Amino acid sequence: MPLLKIDDLEIEVKNGTTVLEAALENGIDIPYYCYHPALEIVGSCRMCLVQVEGMPKLQVSCNTFVGEVPPERKVDGNFDMVVQTQNDLVIQERKNILEFLLLNHPLDCPVCDQAGECYLQDYSFKFGNAHSRFDEDKRVRPNEYLGSQIVINHNRCILCSRCTRFTREISGTSELFVDERGYSSKIAALEDRPLNNLLAGNVADICPVGALLSTDYVHKNRIWNLQKKSSVCQDCSVGCNIDAFYQKRKIFRLNPRENQDVNGYFMCDIGRYGFHRFEDLERVARPLFKSNGIFSEISWDTAIEKISNKFNGAEEKVAGVVSPFHTNETNFMLGRLIKGIIGTFPHIEDEEITYPSGFRISSDRSPNKRGMHDVCPSIVDDLASEINDKEIRVIYILDNEIDKEIDETWNKILTKMDFIVVQAYAMTRLAKSAHLILPGLAPFEREGTITNDQGRVQWLRSVLPNNGESRPDWEILNLLYKTGERFSDINELMKGMGEQFPSYSGMTFFKLGDQGLPLNGNLKT
Amino acid sequence: MNTMATPQEKFIFANPDKVDRIFSQYPDKKSATLSLLHLAQAQEGYISGSVIDTIADLVECHPAIVMDCVSFYSMFFTKPQGRHKIQVCQTLSCSVNGADALVDHVTNKFSIKPGETTDDRRFTLMKVECLGSCGTAPVVQINNDYHEGLTNERFDELLESLP
Repeated sequence: MPLLKIDDLEIEVKNGTTVLEAALENGIDIPYYCYHPALEIVGSCRMCLVQVEGMPKLQVSCNTFVGEVPPERKVDGNFDMVVQTQNDLVIQERKNILEFLLLNHPLDCPVCDQAGECYLQDYSFKFGNAHSRFDEDKRVRPNEYLGSQIVINHNRCILCSRCTRFTREISGTSELFVDERGYSSKIAALEDRPLNNLLAGNVADICPVGALLSTDYVHKNRIWNLQKKSSVCQDCSVGCNIDAFYQKRKIFRLNPRENQDVNGYFMCDIGRYGFHRFEDLERVARPLFKSNGIFSEISWDTAIEKISNKFNGAEEKVAGVVSPFHTNETNFMLGRLIKGIIGTFPHIEDEEITYPSGFRISSDRSPNKRGMHDVCPSIVDDLASEINDKEIRVIYILDNEIDKEIDETWNKILTKMDFIVVQAYAMTRLAKSAHLILPGLAPFEREGTITNDQGRVQWLRSVLPNNGESRPDWEILNLLYKTGERFSDINELMKGMGEQFPSYSGMTFFKLGDQGLPLNGNLKT
Repeated sequence: MNTMATPQEKFIFANPDKVDRIFSQYPDKKSATLSLLHLAQAQEGYISGSVIDTIADLVECHPAIVMDCVSFYSMFFTKPQGRHKIQVCQTLSCSVNGADALVDHVTNKFSIKPGETTDDRRFTLMKVECLGSCGTAPVVQINNDYHEGLTNERFDELLESLP
C-alpha cells in the first residue's frame, strides 16, 4: 500500500486513490466544486489545487492518483507521495481561482436561494479575496428554463459540469450540454429535448452554486429559517433516504440523503415533489361519529367505547384492512387486534423505471408492502369475497392513500356494513363512507419502521407535529386492546413485534439509525 | 435554451459510401462525429437540427452531445450561410493593416454586418481570429482560399468575380 503524506499526516492508502479522496476521508479539508463522488472526474474547477512534491506545477487533487513508486524514487526514502494542502502557494492559488470564478458572478447572495448552503459563498468567505480587481462590465445573461422544473441562472454558473455529467452518467438521458466555448460557454438543453426526466430535480441539488434552481422551491424560503430532519421517502417501495426541510407545520422541500445501500446520493421527482399532495387537505382533527348522515365531533373515550361495544362478542365477524402505506408497528397492531379476517385493498401499481446507474423507481408505489406482509402473515388474497363468505358486518380500515378511489365492488361491500371505522388523517372518500373516523397521522407526521422491497428496515421519523387531537396510528389501536395487553410505548411494541416475528427481533430505532438495516438476522446483533 | 429550430425533414447523407469510409477510420462510432459533421456541412451548408439528429443516430449518442461538439467549434454553422463565406482576419497584423476598413467596405456594399448573410444568400460576412498569414496582412479567407495583401479595389474585383 502506498504511503501518502498530506501536510503532517502520514497515511497508507489504497493504490489508485485520489489525493482529494484520501484527504477527505482523513478529515483534511480541500475545497472543491466539480468533484462529486458519484460522477466522473473532470478536474475543471481547479479549486482543489494542491502542491505535490517533485511536480513542477500545482496539481488538481481530485485527478491526482496515489500509487506505489520504486524505492529509489520515494520521497525521503519513505513516502510514495508528499502533498501540501495548506502552504502559502496553495492558499494564494485558491484566492486566484476564486477571483476568476467570481469575475462574472453577480454577487446576489441576498436574493439567491443557494445562500447559506453555497460552496461559492463558503469558500469565498474562507479562502477568497474581499475585493476583485475586475473593473470591466460583468457578462449578464437572462435566466432560462432547462425543463419544466429546473431554471438556470447563467450568471451564477461556474461551469463545473456536474449537471451535464449527471444527465449523461446517472439518468442516462443526456439532455444537458455545454454550449459554445470559452467566455461564451453556458449550460443548455436542446429546445425540443428539455430536461424533463424523473431525476431532473437532482441537478439542482448537486449544483454547488445557485445556478440551477428548482422552480418548486425558488424564492419560497431561506435555508436558515428551515429545520432539517432525516426521514424516508414514502412514494415507492425503494425507500430513498431523504432530508425534509420544514418550518413550523409546513414542508418546503425534500432532498436526498446519502445511503449507498438504497438510493446512493439521489432521489426521483415523484418523491421529491410528492409531499405537496398532503398540503391543503381537509384534515380530520378529532374523532368524528356519523349519525343521520352528518359527522359530529366526539371525544376519544366515547369513540373507543363505541368501537369496543361493536367488537365485543363478535370478534370473529370483524374484518381489518391493513395498509402498505402504514408503518410495520401500526399494521402489526391491527393484525393482532382483529380475530376475523385481515386483508388489504388492491394495489397501486405503476411503471417500474431503472436508470443506467442502477437507480430504481419501483412499480409498487407504496412504501411498506413487504413489511405489511411480514407482520400480518394472515392477509387473505381476496378480501372482498372473504367478507361476503363470512358475512362480516364490522370493518376497521387503515386509510390507504389520499387519492385512492373506491371501486364498485368495494362500494357494494361498504354499503352492506353495519359499522365502518376508518383511521384517517384526511376526509378522503373512504373516510366519508365511515360511521366513525379516528384521526391518525399524515405521512410526514408518522414515526415507525418501514421495510423496503429489498428487505431493508428503515426508521421513518416524524417531521411535522401532530395535528389537533390526532394520535399516532399505533397508539389509537393500542387503546382498543384490553388494559393488560397494551404496550407502554413504541419501543415495547417493537419488542413485542420481534417476539412474534423473529426476523424483526432485536430491532430498535437506535440500531436502525440513519441508514437502516437489512432483515435476515442482522437486526439481532 | 438553444434557439435551434425543430427539425423538419430527416437529413440523409447523399453519399453513404463516404459515411462508411469515415466510420472505418475510427476505433469507435462516437469518434467519427467531427468528420461526419464536416461531411454534412459540405452537403447542407450548415448544421441543421435534422443533421444533428441523423448524426446522433449514426454515432449512437444523444443529440445534445453532438450539439455540444458543434457549438464548441467555430467552423460549424448552426444557421444557413451564404454561398460564399467572407472571413476577414481581425487579429493584430491584419487589424493594423486595414482589416476593419475591409469589413466596413463589405458592410457598406451589401448592407450586412459581421455574422449576417445577404438576402440573396450570396455572401456571409464574418470576422475571424488569426488566419496565420500575418506577413501578408490584411488577409481574407473566402470559402477555402486565402486572399492576401488586399486593398479595397482588389477586394471589390474579387467579390464581383464570385457568382
